[in-house]
Amino acid sequence: MGRKPQKNDSLPGSLDMLILRTLSLRNLHGYGIVQFIQQSSDNELLLEEGSLYPALQRLELNGWIEGVWGMTSNNRRARIYKITAAGRKQLTVETRKYAKLTLAIARVMGTE
Amino acid sequence: MLLRRLRYWMDSAKRSEALGEEMDLHLAEKAAELEADGMRPEDARAEARRRFGNVGLKQEEAREIWITRFWSELVQDFRYACRTMTANKAFTALAVLSLALGIGANTTIYSFMESILLRSLPVADPESLVVLNWQSRPPQNANKEWVHVVHGVQGILWPGEKGALVSGMFPYSAFETLRTDNSVFSTVFGYFNGLDRNLTVRGQATTAGVEYVTGEYFVGLAVAPAAGRLISSEDDRPGAAPVAVISYATSQERFSGPADAVGQPILVDNIAFTVVGVAPPEFFGVDPAEAPDLYLPVHSNLLLDGSEAARMYADENFYWIELMGRLRPNVSMSQAQAALAPRFHQWVATTAKTEGERAKLPALVLNPGAAGLGSLRRQYSKPLYVLLIMVGLILAIACANIANLLLARATARRREIAVRLSLGAGRFRVVRQLLAESLMLASLGGALGVVIAMWGVRALTLLFSRGQENFTLHAQLNWTVLAMTAALSLVCGLLFGLVPAIQATRPDVMPALKNGRGGGPVRRAQHVLVVAQIAISFVILVAAGLFVQTLNNLHSVQLGYTRENILLFSLNAQQAGHTAPEIATFYSDLRKRFESIPGVSSSTISHSSIVRAGQAGKTIRGIIKIGAVTVEGARVMMAGPHFLKTMQIPILAGREIDDRDQPGSTPVAVISQRMARTYFGHENPVGRHITLPEEKRNLEIVGVSADLRYGGLRNEEESSMTVFAAINQFSPEGVTYALRTAGDPLRYVKNVRDIVREKDSRIPVTKVVTQAAEIDRTISREITFAKLCTAFAILALVMACVGLYGTMTYNVTRQVGEIGIRMALGAQRGAVIWMVLRRVLILAALGLAFSVPAALITSQLVRSFLFETQPNDPRILALAGVILLSAALLAGYAPARRASRIDPMSALRQE
Repeated sequence: MGRKPQKNDSLPGSLDMLILRTLSLRNLHGYGIVQFIQQSSDNELLLEEGSLYPALQRLELNGWIEGVWGMTSNNRRARIYKITAAGRKQLTVETRKYAKLTLAIARVMGTE
Repeated sequence: MLLRRLRYWMDSAKRSEALGEEMDLHLAEKAAELEADGMRPEDARAEARRRFGNVGLKQEEAREIWITRFWSELVQDFRYACRTMTANKAFTALAVLSLALGIGANTTIYSFMESILLRSLPVADPESLVVLNWQSRPPQNANKEWVHVVHGVQGILWPGEKGALVSGMFPYSAFETLRTDNSVFSTVFGYFNGLDRNLTVRGQATTAGVEYVTGEYFVGLAVAPAAGRLISSEDDRPGAAPVAVISYATSQERFSGPADAVGQPILVDNIAFTVVGVAPPEFFGVDPAEAPDLYLPVHSNLLLDGSEAARMYADENFYWIELMGRLRPNVSMSQAQAALAPRFHQWVATTAKTEGERAKLPALVLNPGAAGLGSLRRQYSKPLYVLLIMVGLILAIACANIANLLLARATARRREIAVRLSLGAGRFRVVRQLLAESLMLASLGGALGVVIAMWGVRALTLLFSRGQENFTLHAQLNWTVLAMTAALSLVCGLLFGLVPAIQATRPDVMPALKNGRGGGPVRRAQHVLVVAQIAISFVILVAAGLFVQTLNNLHSVQLGYTRENILLFSLNAQQAGHTAPEIATFYSDLRKRFESIPGVSSSTISHSSIVRAGQAGKTIRGIIKIGAVTVEGARVMMAGPHFLKTMQIPILAGREIDDRDQPGSTPVAVISQRMARTYFGHENPVGRHITLPEEKRNLEIVGVSADLRYGGLRNEEESSMTVFAAINQFSPEGVTYALRTAGDPLRYVKNVRDIVREKDSRIPVTKVVTQAAEIDRTISREITFAKLCTAFAILALVMACVGLYGTMTYNVTRQVGEIGIRMALGAQRGAVIWMVLRRVLILAALGLAFSVPAALITSQLVRSFLFETQPNDPRILALAGVILLSAALLAGYAPARRASRIDPMSALRQE
């Protein structure tokens, strides 16, 4: 049956960053984003798939991504998201914040 | 981002659907992937769902991104409230209606208060305007003689505190003194009432109200003309070209608009003036009680009033001109008073001719002028406050009713609320939902109340204006008032919704779930409310009773002359150019002509109508002597032939004044009976003489009339001693005609106007009124009050009875079980009815117990409105009490009967 999916709560807030990064590489619909993240992380990151959608709504409300109706590879109607210019800027901001955070944690862990 | 949020919220239905579609696709794709890995289709779908998480919850979370939960719940609450309200139509209708009546009445009265007491003049910066008054000790000395610097006055003096004399009139030299070198006022200006004059425009003559103004009047008030220019200091000089400014309304009525009026010639009392400008549309001068049609420079009274006017300027002891000033920036009213009072004192001291006068010099007092002169305020402020208190009480009754009803309903829904609470609804959420209901009720009530208020303002204006001729008060619903109404409804809604809501959602949920019955505290609260309602209704009933009694007393005052079927109207031929002695013949001819109208049995003239006597322009005011004795407290009435006959005043001896009495013949007089008795005892006064030393006349008494009541019905001066002098012998100026008609006097008005126009088209017929209407006008305030208070009392009583009925019904329903047991044990129907009614009587008695002392206290407040009625008249209190008890019993009877009809078996089964 597979491992129980772990809720993505190790670093709260990084879901937004992951989504933005995914969309910066290509335009995907909801399921596609989940697949990409899971595959890219070698199935280490297993999100609760439903929590993607509130996050997507929030990102869209803030103007960082845009959703349009389109067709999937299976010819089914889906809402395809793409990142906006503002979104790219936000991605840089979040990446920097995340890097600072991991550095700080690493320092703590590295201290004797 | 806010815009986007709004857009999302508006499309939320569509978006939800789209979101659902997205999620479905996700699940389908996941299931397909799992199937491809080898799972069975149903398992694949189940696993996909599991991995997804709680679909419903995620949808909610997503939706929450668009609209916060708070708002969507709020909308839900209101929707639910609407549904419950339509489900209980009777309750809703009752609640909304009683609240609407309460709020509507309050808004109406407040509108009036606002426009009379609070609104400012429509001029620039009214806050810096100041009215100049003065105040002095009472002018009468120990011998009741008038010893004061004021030797003559044209205007009003009114009593201040402790009998002091207060007035706004000043002599002209005072104005000049205060005007020069004024460091505290940027302008000082004056004005005085020019009375009604004949205004002829392009051949058409009507009467117009005139206001004389000084040169700085319009400058001081800082108004701009609607057309042309306004009066300036250049125009206000003796010998300047006669110019006039007309009001906006006049420019529209008499000309075809402001532009048309400028530069046009007009005749004022037959003197030529030129219109130089038109005042702006909302401007009405400085007195809200009067709106002049015509503004003339003060010095033009030399043209209109002749030699008498010239004396006014020179006489330092003649008080006539009213003054207002505009404060300089950064000068306060008290500073201005401190600066000017000594200057005025210095000046007025020089005008004192005797020691006695010097002891009572007037002192300058400044009052705020933002709201204009105080005459309207003085007249109406006290009545309005009384009315405001009354409608406030009615609103309290309405609120109590609604609180009662809501309490009852909240208790009835205890079960529902308990279920909700036990299912996990937050207490705040449930309270909020109940609150939404009461707020909706309150807003509906408020909205309907505004509609009622609009109608009410119109109705009240009509009632008030029956007492005035040129009633200029336009109470309007404006934003301040509407805001107050909105605030009021909000407060009501919160107030009587909150308490029941909090009460009903108390955490002890189990008892409610078990038997869903109301408890003791609710009943007690209801009883308290009902007792309060009854108490308030009693107070209002007593007030109504007092006013109705006052009205009755006024109506039964003996007038001494006939009230019905008399038509009164006034003419002033002198203003159209007629002079003595021809004017007397003119009036006489008209009188005979009137008498020949079919239906008119008799006609006469007098210097003014009996009711208005003493207020009219030219009267004889001097001392009356019989031989060496001075007559005290008599009035002189200048009357023409057939006066006593027309007014149906009996002639007790001799004859009345008739055509024999002409300017050349012996000067005659007719005196009233009381005067004859007092000064001639049982002798026949016919043939004796009366002298009027100031008029240098010696009159021979030719007849004695019955006593009549001079002036209005409330005239405190019980001067029933009248001297009738022949008007033709005193060169009349303006006269009042009285016609005794068969049937409705107003039917003859057209006839009269035609006759007058035929004789001289330059003379307008004014002040057309029936005698009955004129008498009623003097007591219009009392009539209005009696009508209003009766209406309020009925309203209050009905609402209190509704409250009582509701409470009793509720009680009976709650006690169905107990009553059932009693009846099963053998109680008779009558006993059950008596049980309910007994409770009603106890409540009513409690209400009375509280309110009788309250009524006694508050009725002292209205003492000044009453006439020959004691505020604590026991008959009225008793009557009010009886009415209240009967109404209460009536209200309680229906529930009582219902209680007695309870079938014991079904009642017990209900347990």
